[in-house]
Amino acid sequence: MNTSVRLSLSSLRTHKRRFAGTFFAVFLGVAFLAGTLVMGDTLRASFDSMFGEATSGTDAVVRSAEAITTPGEAQGVRRPVGTDLLRTIEQVPGVAAAVPNIQGAGQLVGADGKPVGGQGPPTLAGNWITDPQLNPYRLAEGRAPARSGEVVVNRGAAKKGGLTIGDTTTLRTPDPVEVTVVGLATFGGADGMAQVTFTGMTRSDAEKYLTARPGEAATIQVRADPGVSQSALVDRLTPVLPKGDEAITGQESAQENTDMVSSQFLTIFTTFLLVFSGVALLVATFSIHNTFAIIVAQRTRENALLRALGASRRQVTASTLVEASVVAVTASLAGLAGGIGIAAALQALFPAIGFPFPEGDLVIKTLSMVLPLVVGFVVCLGSALLPAVRAGRTAPLAALRETAVDAAGASRARAVTGTALAAVAVATALVGVLVAPSVWPAGIGALLALVAFVVLGPVASSAAVRVLGSPLGRLRGVTGSLARRNALRSPKRTAATASALMIGVAVVSLFTVFGASLKATMDQTVSRSFAGDVAVSTPSFGAGGSGLSPRLAPAVQRLPEVDTAVGLGRGVAEVDGKGRALTVTDPAALARTFDLGTVSGSLRDLGTDGIAITRKEADRMGLVPGDTARLTFTDARTQNFTVRAVYGRSELAGDYVITRAAWAPHRTQDSDTLVAVSFKDGVSADAGKAAVQKVADRYGSPQVQTREEYAQSSAGGIDMMLTLVYALLALAVLIALLGIANTLTLAVHERTRELGLLRAVGQTRPQLRAMVRWESVLVASFGTAGGLGLGAFLGWVLVKASDGARDSAFAFAIPPAQLVVVALVGLAAGALAGLRPARRAARLDVLRAIAAE
Amino acid sequence: MTTATEATSVRTAARVVGAVKVYGSGDTAVRALDGVDVDFAAGRFTAIMGPSGSGKSTLMHCAAGLDTLTSGAAYIGDTELGSLDDRRLTLLRRDRIGFVFQAFNLVPTLTVAENITLPLDLAGGGGDPEWIEALVDVVGLRDRLHHRPSELSGGQQQRVAVARAFAGRPDVVFADEPTGNLDSRSGQEVLGLLGRAVRQMNRTVVMVTHDPVAAAHADEVVFLADGRLVDRMEAPTADLVLDRMKAFEVRS
Repeated sequence: MNTSVRLSLSSLRTHKRRFAGTFFAVFLGVAFLAGTLVMGDTLRASFDSMFGEATSGTDAVVRSAEAITTPGEAQGVRRPVGTDLLRTIEQVPGVAAAVPNIQGAGQLVGADGKPVGGQGPPTLAGNWITDPQLNPYRLAEGRAPARSGEVVVNRGAAKKGGLTIGDTTTLRTPDPVEVTVVGLATFGGADGMAQVTFTGMTRSDAEKYLTARPGEAATIQVRADPGVSQSALVDRLTPVLPKGDEAITGQESAQENTDMVSSQFLTIFTTFLLVFSGVALLVATFSIHNTFAIIVAQRTRENALLRALGASRRQVTASTLVEASVVAVTASLAGLAGGIGIAAALQALFPAIGFPFPEGDLVIKTLSMVLPLVVGFVVCLGSALLPAVRAGRTAPLAALRETAVDAAGASRARAVTGTALAAVAVATALVGVLVAPSVWPAGIGALLALVAFVVLGPVASSAAVRVLGSPLGRLRGVTGSLARRNALRSPKRTAATASALMIGVAVVSLFTVFGASLKATMDQTVSRSFAGDVAVSTPSFGAGGSGLSPRLAPAVQRLPEVDTAVGLGRGVAEVDGKGRALTVTDPAALARTFDLGTVSGSLRDLGTDGIAITRKEADRMGLVPGDTARLTFTDARTQNFTVRAVYGRSELAGDYVITRAAWAPHRTQDSDTLVAVSFKDGVSADAGKAAVQKVADRYGSPQVQTREEYAQSSAGGIDMMLTLVYALLALAVLIALLGIANTLTLAVHERTRELGLLRAVGQTRPQLRAMVRWESVLVASFGTAGGLGLGAFLGWVLVKASDGARDSAFAFAIPPAQLVVVALVGLAAGALAGLRPARRAARLDVLRAIAAE
Repeated sequence: MTTATEATSVRTAARVVGAVKVYGSGDTAVRALDGVDVDFAAGRFTAIMGPSGSGKSTLMHCAAGLDTLTSGAAYIGDTELGSLDDRRLTLLRRDRIGFVFQAFNLVPTLTVAENITLPLDLAGGGGDPEWIEALVDVVGLRDRLHHRPSELSGGQQQRVAVARAFAGRPDVVFADEPTGNLDSRSGQEVLGLLGRAVRQMNRTVVMVTHDPVAAAHADEVVFLADGRLVDRMEAPTADLVLDRMKAFEVRS
């Protein structure tokens, strides 16, 4: 064993450069992984401490016990509690203070006239709690609001909106309220609760603008007398609360808030990043495996000599593995350090881009250190395992033969296995798409397709390189055809090198196709379902924004140009025991601005006890017009609704429609999410739009968009997501690029003599460089083509499977322009990867090269 | 460039003047060539002989533009090699010089036919098809044209290399121990080819060898020892060459 170690170390010393690619592949993957984990830990810990600090003065929280959660939402909707409870609570022994916490949506308009925030995190407004111990926000500058119209704004929001103390601006609740900033606040020591914006107003303003009726609050916050524990306080409060309300300790409440942020934001965020480090490491696996396979092949003679001199198989295998281990350990350790560096850099960078990343030390948990190390080590060593075993199998006689280069073609077994796998993959995917639409079999099929691609790589690479490279000979003469033949030399090696890039490109294409399909779906949805001329909405995303004033739709309706203006609000209720989103609107007008498909029954007279349901939901529950549906609202009241209409299209209108009158008793803050407007005959689009915009300006200036604009802006978030995905996938492509460069460098080394000959008989340096570069481009083009094909197929499978599995139709779209860009990037990556090996090859000394072994 | 070639090939195909080549520096400096003046006449088959370390390979490499002289000058025709940059030198090798190396040195990915026309293809021109056809027949590889080098025997591979060397009708073909890796029969074939190219096709060949039998195929032998030109021999035979070589060994 000692000898093996010595041999490996001396080999490592001699061939440092060969391992540079492997080192960087592992380093990058591990650094990304470690950086993600450390950043997740740090963010989580800082949120913990932030909430802990902010709510440390709150000993108990009283709220309604029941929450209704609709699908796709992390946080349930709770009924408000009555503020008349305050007097009861204040009389409970041990209670020092109790304050109502009124909360609703309120979006500030910045100094530049643009709304502040709203792209994801909530934009909140509430009453400014005067008891400083119960208020999670601390006044940092200025004073608390004393008069109607005065507000305190959290410092982060003020910075973002360019607001300072004394400024007057608009707060959309959604009715525009003119407010004056009199104070700036911090949350748990930071400028805000992450990106959440908060506007604190007087209690009477909050009741007026944020609640459906005075005397309601989201929660009541309670502070205990000294010496009374949180749980004791809860025990004393519980008996006096009315049925349906509950008390929880301040700690539990803080924990819930932290968990909410964790699950809504952090978990999604870190999972997202972890997936990409997974892709990067998978790509790295191919590069590393390839490097070791080539090195072992090149060292056949040396290993055979060792065997001939009496080294055992195990010793030869071990020496390769020791080499891999040394690289693995150093690269993983360096990667871990790099990852911590990335996290530290992000911590410094985030505040600069306006994201309050709380200050403090990085939190590095043991798992976040151990996991990247283990993964890096396993990936590196695992990738080297097969080549190491092959090294051990070297026959002693091979020492006497001409230097063996791994030029083995694809075996029959490989072709058969690969084809069988591909067939199974396609069949599974098709089952998921056509027979029993579901994302699961489709996903498994997709994964199998990837494996089949990798297995079939060497079989496909010869044919593919031949086809892709056929124009080369004609375009670039002998240089081109030499490049093409070099790429054909070792189909296995070409395939393995290309596979790394292929996976990267496949994931990029998958997201591109999926994104384009989502956009096409939105577009199709709007053009199919939206029968109006303009749509009024606030640009918002996620939980942000405050919606539209419910008074906007009636105001627009009064315009002479307008035929119908209908506002759509949102409500929640449990239907058949499951949380559902309701569309609250004027159903008769709805039918005039939306294409609801075939309607059976009538939308005209839903009244306060009628409901309209989509056909899909109605069929699921076995309901027909005339039947009864039981709805339970957040206030725990249950009401029977008669199904008066069943309609076909749910895309924009939602699955359940009730009237405003029916919703009124259960509503909280009143707002619409969309106002759909259709013009009278003869009104031009421009004139109508201008008229509507004029009215809208009086209600907080929401956006007025034509159908096309509305469709486009609905898809706006997708481009943002795609940009992020591309940025992250650049890492995988970079690793693939390193792999190509490394393989080529090794190939150049292996062909030294041949290159020397070419130079001797008159190949110029530029010709030689071009030859190596074109080989690189060819390998890359094989990887890119495979990746594009695979990605497009996977995208199709995913889209079609979702189409079948979801309620609404999902359109499939291939974006040619974007895919062309992806292809060009792949080829450019190839050209780039070839640069260094080409330069090194061109620098070879002709005489020495010819004499080389 | 080719027309100029015809004009200069009348007298001297290649020559070196006052050639000095020093490897290393200071105490470890080795004078591989120590003031050599020699010219290789056009249309002749010249062999360079000498014991190991005599500088014969260095002389050839410098004369062929594969290596540069420390001092002195090397000419191909009237072109002084020292004044050429790498690109011009490469083009000169491609257009005016042919090479045959000891270890075949064919490009494994190219077929026999492609290997033969490689220098012409690198130049981007088609060459003279009739000349190539004739060459293929002379080296006797017509039935192997579409094979890969790995499918040929050593002797066959070297014959391909010879054909390649003459494909562009270069001013001079340099052969570096062309028979070193071959059995005697294949070696004879290759030497026969080189001789025929000179005598029947009016080509010029300069060959480095340590084998007196090989040297006997040449029109003239130049002897090198310790980096200096020590003798020249017209119409050599194997025995004469061997005797001359033995004389060196006795002296050293």
